[in-house]
Amino acid sequence: MRIPCPYCGPRDTHEFVCRGETDTNRPDNDEAFYDYVYLRDNPIGSVREHWYHAQGCRNWLTVTRDSQTHEISEAVLAKDAAR
Amino acid sequence: MSRLSQGGLIDRSSPLSFSFDGKTYSGYAGDTLASALLANGVKLVGRSFKYHRPRGILTAGSEEPSALVTLRTGARAEPNIRATTTELYDGLSAISQNRWPSLSFDLMSINQLAAPLLAAGFYYKTFMWPAKLWEKLYEPVIRRAAGLGALSMQPDPDSYDQNHAFCDLLVIGAGPAGLAAALTAARSGIRVILAEEDRLVGGRLMSGTQTINGERAGEWTARIFAELRDMPNVKMLARTSIFGAYDGHIYGAIERVADHLPEPAPGQPRQCLWKIAARRALLATGAIERPLTFGSNDRPGVMMAGAVSTYLHRYAVAPGTHALVYTASDSGWETAAHLLSAGVDLAAVVDTRDTLPAASAALARAGVEILANARVLDAKGKALRRVVVRNAQGRTRTFDADLLAMSGGWSPAIGLGSNLGARPVWSEEIQAFVPGKMPPGMIAIGAAAGRFSLREALEDGVKSVDSITDELGVGGRASETFIADEEDVAATPLWAPSEGKTKAFVDFQHDVTDRDVALAAREGFVSVEHMKRYTTLGMATDQGKLGQLTANALLAQATDRAIPNVGTILSRPPYVPVAIGAFAGHHRGDHFRPERHTASHQWAIGQGATFADAGLWKRAQWFSRPGERDWLETVTREVKATRSGVGICDVSTLGKIDVHGPDAAKLLDRLYVNMFSTLPVGKARYGLMLREDGFVFDDGTTTRFAEDYFFMTTTTANAARVMQHIDYARQVLWPDLDVQATSVTEQWATYAVAGPQSRAVLQKMLPDIDLSNEAFPYMAACKFTWRGLPARLYRLSFSGELAYEVSVPAHQGEALLRELFAAGGEFDITPYGTEALGVMRIEKGHPAGNELSGQTTAFDLGMGRLLSRKKDFIGRVMANREALLDPARPQLVGIRPVDIGQRIGAGAHLINAGAAPVAANDQGNVSSVAYSPSEASWIGLALLRNGPERHGERLFAYDPVRGRNTEVQVCNPVFVDPEGVRVRG
Amino acid sequence: MVEGAELVPMLGMGIAAVMARRGADMTHLAALLGISAMPVARALKAGSGEIIIGTGPEMWLVISPDAAPDWGESLAERLAGVASVSDQSGGYALYSLRGAKARQLLQKGAFIDLHPDAFGRGSAATTVIAHAGVILWQTEEEAPAFELALFRSFQASLEHWFTVALAAMAAAD
Repeated sequence: MRIPCPYCGPRDTHEFVCRGETDTNRPDNDEAFYDYVYLRDNPIGSVREHWYHAQGCRNWLTVTRDSQTHEISEAVLAKDAAR
Repeated sequence: MSRLSQGGLIDRSSPLSFSFDGKTYSGYAGDTLASALLANGVKLVGRSFKYHRPRGILTAGSEEPSALVTLRTGARAEPNIRATTTELYDGLSAISQNRWPSLSFDLMSINQLAAPLLAAGFYYKTFMWPAKLWEKLYEPVIRRAAGLGALSMQPDPDSYDQNHAFCDLLVIGAGPAGLAAALTAARSGIRVILAEEDRLVGGRLMSGTQTINGERAGEWTARIFAELRDMPNVKMLARTSIFGAYDGHIYGAIERVADHLPEPAPGQPRQCLWKIAARRALLATGAIERPLTFGSNDRPGVMMAGAVSTYLHRYAVAPGTHALVYTASDSGWETAAHLLSAGVDLAAVVDTRDTLPAASAALARAGVEILANARVLDAKGKALRRVVVRNAQGRTRTFDADLLAMSGGWSPAIGLGSNLGARPVWSEEIQAFVPGKMPPGMIAIGAAAGRFSLREALEDGVKSVDSITDELGVGGRASETFIADEEDVAATPLWAPSEGKTKAFVDFQHDVTDRDVALAAREGFVSVEHMKRYTTLGMATDQGKLGQLTANALLAQATDRAIPNVGTILSRPPYVPVAIGAFAGHHRGDHFRPERHTASHQWAIGQGATFADAGLWKRAQWFSRPGERDWLETVTREVKATRSGVGICDVSTLGKIDVHGPDAAKLLDRLYVNMFSTLPVGKARYGLMLREDGFVFDDGTTTRFAEDYFFMTTTTANAARVMQHIDYARQVLWPDLDVQATSVTEQWATYAVAGPQSRAVLQKMLPDIDLSNEAFPYMAACKFTWRGLPARLYRLSFSGELAYEVSVPAHQGEALLRELFAAGGEFDITPYGTEALGVMRIEKGHPAGNELSGQTTAFDLGMGRLLSRKKDFIGRVMANREALLDPARPQLVGIRPVDIGQRIGAGAHLINAGAAPVAANDQGNVSSVAYSPSEASWIGLALLRNGPERHGERLFAYDPVRGRNTEVQVCNPVFVDPEGVRVRG
Repeated sequence: MVEGAELVPMLGMGIAAVMARRGADMTHLAALLGISAMPVARALKAGSGEIIIGTGPEMWLVISPDAAPDWGESLAERLAGVASVSDQSGGYALYSLRGAKARQLLQKGAFIDLHPDAFGRGSAATTVIAHAGVILWQTEEEAPAFELALFRSFQASLEHWFTVALAAMAAAD
């Protein structure tokens, strides 16, 4: 799989670390933490994930990937992504 | 000799000598091992997997299931090599497989008599009872009886290279479709890679007598090859198999760089593994001919019709002297014509169909006997001698023949096209599966797309490239088209079990018969995937390239379904066998993965260090001295020397991170459970990090060197993960913070100088810095200049002794170490390794890797009071979950054996005295163990239920792995200087 | 030009990692480094001889042929308030890779497209060669010449890979 890093260009997945689905913002109220830490939607089809370009530009990316085909439709810097 | 007097793409001026099963033969440059064996009249090449039936050469390509040999000798011996793709070289040595004592007299062929026991699924049921006999009797016997070649069991003396390539278009296969496509694409200016598994391009054009644009196919091929070879935008990879299509338009390829040579030249890799990133790919892999199902269709002398044409034309070898053609397709008639013109006596052409192609007329005129609507029932002879045929009228006739050319029709070679879960679809028209939805970016053309005529292949080659260049918006349109004559390519497959008396094989390599498929259906394995597992059909190294469709069709018939309703299997990489060594490349043995060396690595080697792996790092574990009996004596000396005098240890592998920016303190407050914004400049503080789920993540000391600059350290193991964690916090959680972070692990070489004499050593070396306890107390830090270089000094202690850490830029690390040794000489300064470091930290009760296991909380480790209540931090909410605060959770304690001198082992479980050593009675476990020179006893750290309340209690450390059950007493985990007087002294 | 490829260590250089402060004025930062604009995935040489290599968004590696031991600290002062500087003079090993086969050799190690149209003069990339992270750039010289920065602990492993990969390439000719 190759991920189109917005800074580095297309790179092999072995340069990246996957953290899994992006979630909502870190909660402000303590009650919401269980969901935030443990619950994921795990959908079939389009999923937004955080990937870290550990062996490249050291940026966290928000990657939109199809969980069935692994096709990646978008990768943007996580700090720029509308969360 | 079966060599024809002329023709063939062989070099008759280069005779080559080779041996098979110890006997010497000769062939020519351009031969394969298979063609050379056939030229020498060798028909029996191996014994089959299960029944030890004699087997010959069935095909002329990489789909070969039968002619598998062990090639080369000694460490280079490689089993299960297809003779049909092995290029002949001078001195080649091959032996047959799976026979004992010899190929022609094989005692194990008695397995045929036991055949009822070895039918499909035999290993699931036949030997289930009595179970105790399985290991002792059944398995060894079956292992000896069934199987293929054996490994040499020696290290592979060859090397394997790896490479990467990028292109706009990857053309897989250099037959007519692939050549037409590659040329069209190359002329359009895009970057093209043409990969061909053979050493020559041309594919089927090497097996026939076609013309293209009026030009003879051989000349056409040579002209196109020459043009492609000289184009800068084209890379030609011969002897290269594309073995897999992977996500993101990546293809795996194996190039056989030196397999055609007696051995690789010095430095030359044997094979090269390519990773190819291709925007588009064309699957031009052609088609594979299907065998027909009849009794003893596996006899040496029975061969695919297309292969017969290849041996006649490409290798100038007649695989027999009197032949019979058995066909369900028009292409079988082409082979019949080829046999006739090569001067082979043609006994008959047997067609399963009523209606014969136009080509049959010429053969009839030549006096060949033709049987329409007829069946071959059985082949006879150990090597083929007679063929029993039933004609249209139902009468049985026997023909003498030593060659039977069979054609059951053609299946597109779509293995790669069904990678990535792309499911093939059934074509009524060609009665075979064709590519359906392909892997992204891939298109099948020519025979691989089920378009079998040469005319269609050439047309596809040109048109597909035009559509690709349009789609990519690059290059121009094709300027040349290629036209071939029309040809008959019809086939009506015969999907029926054998009517013969003997076994009829569907999967030749795994010895699966038509009856095995029927048995699977009868026993309820009616899914094609279940039938595959039950019969093992398609699970040999050829992955069912020949027999899969026939099996699907027989299963359909046995279950009264249509073939598309039965479906077919998906192919997974690798499409052809690939040596594991190729995947490892240059990374083998000591170079399996990179090693990281600290600045003192060479120095440590000189000091006699033994190294241990810490991730990729090589760390000095201890420094043995002459006369020391074992590592324990060495480590004990190192600990004693440090605790009584002064020791020095390289701690450079700890992770180090510069955290800069106006919001640096704010970020650290959120990363650590404890407060860092209150840390004064020039001071260090211990910090503990949690994961967001509340469990301990990492720890270390962090020093503030300026209002907006902190220097963080992490454990060696978590250095990269903490960096990643900080970047997540900076970029994702709190992008509004103005904070920057950089890993400086490699920048600083750091040495811990520990022991009561450490101050004296450093004060001698650094007379300009006041190191008195008042001026430079515990947890103080400063920058200084050493030989003009920026340097740093910290008063930190992991050992529990008065101790310092000194850092300089790593390229001067060894120089610093040497100076520290010079200064410490009069104090008998002693180097110590990670083992002594570990002993001292256990004596001090410092949690490390074994305790920071990802399953422990701050409370478990006795650090609950560190959790700040004045601020938010990562892990705060979840760490305060009720269950994680339960005092019954295992918590950190010390243990020592009641009987001093007894050993305890890490991993032992703690059990109450008198309780049975079972999981239900588990009180916790021993996490770290060391021999403590200070205590003159083995000691341990443990995680014990209600631990802090149980100091003084006696328990048993139950260690079934080491066969120990030691009575231990629970104690404070800090064994040495529990008040911490020394570190502050 | 060297016929195959040769890897020559570059010693005595000052090296620093530079990260812009949040919202920093890039033009100002470039001016402080003596260049017209901060490079993105490219390597740029300033009049001072310093090379500025874009390694990530608002991240650069700056290399100075000036080997003064306090260069890193002086750069930090020069960029104070605009960018954070971490001295890495001891952290990276630098190499120059030259020769007719230099590009071909790098391609064996790196899974990024090094075709001259995709990676030409002044191009820079942070990637992996032989399981070790590298920062790689092509100099602005006429003849293709590459330079690379590697965390110093990996030196022995990279040099081993270079030796065997070069031998494999030489044997193929």
